[in-house]
Amino acid sequence: MLPLSLLNAAQNKPMLVELKNGETFNGHLVNCDNFMNITLREVYQTSAEGDRFWKLKECYIRGSTIKYLRVPDTLLDAVKEEQNRAREAGRSARGSHVSGTGARGRGAPPRGTPVVQSREVYI
Amino acid sequence: MAGLQPYVDHRVLLILQDGRAIVGVMAGFDQKSNVVLSDTKERVYSMEEGVEEIPLGLYLVKGDQIVLIGELDEAADKAVDLSTIRAEPLPPIRY
Amino acid sequence: MDKPKREAILDLAKYVNERIRVKFTGGREVTGVLKGYDQLLNLVLDEVQENLQAVPEGQPTTRNLGLVVLRGPTITLLSPVDGYEEIANPFLAQE
Repeated sequence: MLPLSLLNAAQNKPMLVELKNGETFNGHLVNCDNFMNITLREVYQTSAEGDRFWKLKECYIRGSTIKYLRVPDTLLDAVKEEQNRAREAGRSARGSHVSGTGARGRGAPPRGTPVVQSREVYI
Repeated sequence: MAGLQPYVDHRVLLILQDGRAIVGVMAGFDQKSNVVLSDTKERVYSMEEGVEEIPLGLYLVKGDQIVLIGELDEAADKAVDLSTIRAEPLPPIRY
Repeated sequence: MDKPKREAILDLAKYVNERIRVKFTGGREVTGVLKGYDQLLNLVLDEVQENLQAVPEGQPTTRNLGLVVLRGPTITLLSPVDGYEEIANPFLAQE
């Protein structure tokens, strides 16, 4: 499952974001984009040392400054469920046209659709 | 260049640039090596006490923060009694 | 669930003529009144005040910079000053 899919599914959910400088932000995800820039609302900011706290109505955080995000555990199953449902819906919609070429492993989208799942990762 | 696909659904060890050691099941990754980890636990090493394992849940770690991803040999890992391990924690990466 | 690809997730129009706080890579922090912006998040702020970090005792903690152009690539965080306040540890309430 793609990290960005998980993030998109986390809209309106609470999460914890730690920045590279060690500061943490607890808030609800409003929006996110492909660079992982995010907007949060009802945010509690904690200093890197953990000794000072602020409340923010909302904030925008650059993806490039994020170290990691912590999201509710239930999100993983929710997203997998959603992806399965979408795949099943796609399969039944295509009906009898998909035969013989079905063996595409992990249910990859049919040829011609932009493939988002990556097979090779270059670090 | 090795891809991360072989590690999906396996328990992996992540070392981050700040020296943190994180263990979790890799649920997904992308071209920039951003990683989704489920059932994540941070392992805090110290010379005075055994390893402290802090459960952290579902994590999305940015690829640019990851130094190392290793596939955990779960059998070997289970055989280790973490409370007996004494080790210096890793320092942050310095360039 | 598809969003339009080119639309920014932050609508800066709602902050025009309001004071906002901006943080940069490298640790600097300023507040100023938003006068203009573009898609790259370059900003024009007026009545800008820099909040100095790591100030020795007895020295001023802010300096005034007037009318400033802030470069988008170095911006790490943006939030309105309205609704921003320092508070006591909010996590203790859950004990």
